[in-house]
Amino acid sequence: MKSGELKYQDYKYGFTTDIENIKAPKGLSEETIKFISKIKNEPKWMLDWRLKAFNRLKVIKEPNWQKPKYPKIDYQDLYYYSAPKSMKDKPKSLDEVDPKLIETYNKLGIPLNEQKKLSGVAVDAVFDSVSVATTFKGELDKKGIIFCPISEAIQKHPDLVRKYLGSVIPITDHYFATLNSAVFTDGSFVYIPPNTRCPMELSTYFRINASETGQFERTLIIADKGSYVSYLEGCTAPMRDENQLHAANVELVALDDAEIKYSTVQNWYPGDKDGVGGIYNFVTKRGACRGKNSKISWTQVETGSAITWKYPSCILQGDNSVGEFYSIAITNNYQKADTGTKMIHLGKNTKSKIISKGISAGKADNTYRGLVDINSKAFNSRNYTQCDSLLMGNKCGAHTVPYIKNKNSSSTVEHEATTSKINEDQLFYCNQRGLNQEEAVSLIVNGFCKEVLQQLPMEFAVEAQKLVSISLEGSVG
Amino acid sequence: MEELFNIDLDKISNSSNKEALDRKKNLELFFKKGLPNKKDESWKFTDFSLIINKNFKKIKNNHDFSFDEKIELIRDFDHNFIILVNGLLNSFDISFEDKSKVNIEKLNSLDDFKNQSSSNLNYLNKALSLGGFKIEIKENYKCKKPIIIYNYYSANLENKIINNSNKIKLNQNTELTLIEYNVDENSKFLKNTFETVEIAKDSVLKSISIQKSKSKGYFYKNISGSQGYNSNYQNYILTSGLRFNRVEIEMSLEKENSNCFIMSGLSLGEGEHQEIKTRINHLAPNCKSYQKIKNVLEKDSNGIYQGKIYVKDVAQKTDAYQLSKALILDDLAEFNAKPELEIYADDVKCSHGSTSGSIDKDAVHYLMTRGIQFTEAKKLLINGFLNEIFENMSEQKIKTFLEKSIEGQINGI
Repeated sequence: MKSGELKYQDYKYGFTTDIENIKAPKGLSEETIKFISKIKNEPKWMLDWRLKAFNRLKVIKEPNWQKPKYPKIDYQDLYYYSAPKSMKDKPKSLDEVDPKLIETYNKLGIPLNEQKKLSGVAVDAVFDSVSVATTFKGELDKKGIIFCPISEAIQKHPDLVRKYLGSVIPITDHYFATLNSAVFTDGSFVYIPPNTRCPMELSTYFRINASETGQFERTLIIADKGSYVSYLEGCTAPMRDENQLHAANVELVALDDAEIKYSTVQNWYPGDKDGVGGIYNFVTKRGACRGKNSKISWTQVETGSAITWKYPSCILQGDNSVGEFYSIAITNNYQKADTGTKMIHLGKNTKSKIISKGISAGKADNTYRGLVDINSKAFNSRNYTQCDSLLMGNKCGAHTVPYIKNKNSSSTVEHEATTSKINEDQLFYCNQRGLNQEEAVSLIVNGFCKEVLQQLPMEFAVEAQKLVSISLEGSVG
Repeated sequence: MEELFNIDLDKISNSSNKEALDRKKNLELFFKKGLPNKKDESWKFTDFSLIINKNFKKIKNNHDFSFDEKIELIRDFDHNFIILVNGLLNSFDISFEDKSKVNIEKLNSLDDFKNQSSSNLNYLNKALSLGGFKIEIKENYKCKKPIIIYNYYSANLENKIINNSNKIKLNQNTELTLIEYNVDENSKFLKNTFETVEIAKDSVLKSISIQKSKSKGYFYKNISGSQGYNSNYQNYILTSGLRFNRVEIEMSLEKENSNCFIMSGLSLGEGEHQEIKTRINHLAPNCKSYQKIKNVLEKDSNGIYQGKIYVKDVAQKTDAYQLSKALILDDLAEFNAKPELEIYADDVKCSHGSTSGSIDKDAVHYLMTRGIQFTEAKKLLINGFLNEIFENMSEQKIKTFLEKSIEGQINGI
């Protein structure tokens, strides 16, 4: 098969679920925030917190230093809350959930029925602005693990939420983080009690369905002393010719000896091959290694979204804490990605590792932007950064913008980056063995990404590998 | 901003009314923007405004170019020379060269500098620059000996600003080695230089800058240039011992097979700040650029490297490399780097590496077991670390001279 015959495969998850919605009044205003807070039955402190963020939002400006530029977003032309009508009365069990919703998730390959499920993964499914269902709650309860929608946690565990919400990403952070603090709708809350190893992977599946809606979810994960949790996040959206905004905040807190592993497979609708439509994925993700010997590891596979703009970061406060960042960012057609990480070393003997793989094809632009900052008190700290870019064709771009700061004589920072194209010899070798062009590219790209794919939990790894191949279909030749 | 400066434009003699108006306009633009600070992406790691405000008061423009002292010439190798006093061309001697082929003159007109970037410091320079020198090498002439530029700064420069602009032009098939040698009378001043470099087809320009002794001066230099087919540009920055120094280089490799090398080896002592910012534009296929920046940081010194490689979509087969290495010897010292790549062509080899850390303890131990004292061992290793920069220099005498100067600087730490 000649590579020219290849066709661009349509976005598999681009269907819409036809379902009646309850929406907040259009536009960003105090009323909208009050509406969200009321429909979620929130206590007063939560509303005050949101309003404080909203007031702050009025005085700050949208950042504009990033590489991918986008048309101005009309924040008054968006719905900030949209939920299936059937979710209004909070179904008690899965039997009461609208079959249409269950069908949607089945279609996405996320069965919510526990018997049918892959064993070992608990799922929180978020549909537009509400959490539809959370599975395996009973089993987790036995261990004292809290895994629930954040709106539920605000009511049931207000002390924990009050203590940690906004402690990693303050409401005074940048524009989109503040916007999220003002209007966040749902997301997951995880608390792992001391000395507990979470027996299964926790997972949240985000789905944008309604049009003209922004999704603003908020995730908060707290790993108490000596605990361990692995958390997965997946996302899809229907195909539309409009751009939709997704501005999430994710906060992680790891106390003494705790470890959090956070994996993302981001597959929002990337727009069609002429760059029409797609999600603006402007996400703030930050983890704080507060305790000694704590560890936070971010793994991300970014294949979707028209524009991806995010920097999952680690603040290494505790002595001997470890931060890791593994990333694959694939951009095709007119997609744009500006992603990377920040590793802030504050404690002694802190270590961080960054492995970033960027692949650009078509007319896409892919930027790695990262910061490694070693404070003057972070004795014997260590960082290793590797960012590799792969270019396919000469209409796309690959950029690397690392910021490296070292203020300590006993610390070592190493950074390397390379940019190259797929080796002709390797392609030829594969072709010779009977693989067609597409298969050969997929094989080589998967090899290029291997270091990162290895970090993903089993359930995700296979999926991600397929996604890598699909995202690049039609880019060769 | 206006309190920091006490500029008197009337003292500058202008060739025309238009020039006087241009100066006024540029000065206004500068006052409007002020000195750059960290909000400016290209000054990400340095608050220049703060540094100047802290160290200067009522900065005046300099008008004194008197020169009565005999300058001590370098005797290590034969050379031509140019003497600049406080940035302006004083005299020159090119007795080793064919005088019809090498043209050196005073640069007065500022019209040649229209293409420079519109940065704050460029406005300031346009407003106050009194010129500088211009070197032009005529076609098919290879200079026999290097030209040393003795950059002399007098003692009465305290709290003054020097603005100058230079031009270096190499016509087709020529060769020139320029050594900028700074001699300083230890006064605290500010210098703002803009320089353009033009290297035509098959030409080679080697540029070396080095410092005679420590200086209290604050230096800013902007070099922008273009290179023709099969041309070669090499810049060695070895100016250790300056209180503040920032060199910005923007080179455009406009035609095929051109090469650009930027090398720097610096050892920084107490209160010193050195910054190198580069941008190499690969605009044609088959070009090569190579940057190697090495810093040794003592006490509370500050070393910065911001490099950018830009590869245009047509510039296939580009080979570009950036390497920055820092030895941090004190917890008060700081090294910041931003090695950037912006690439739009796929068949390229572009990479960068950056490391910073302490001196290799095993190597020190090894030397000490051979009976070498700790401080000696350290100096030996630093020397080796920095000397690598001009390892490939072909002129043996210049190389020896540089080695000697570097050694002197290390001993001065």
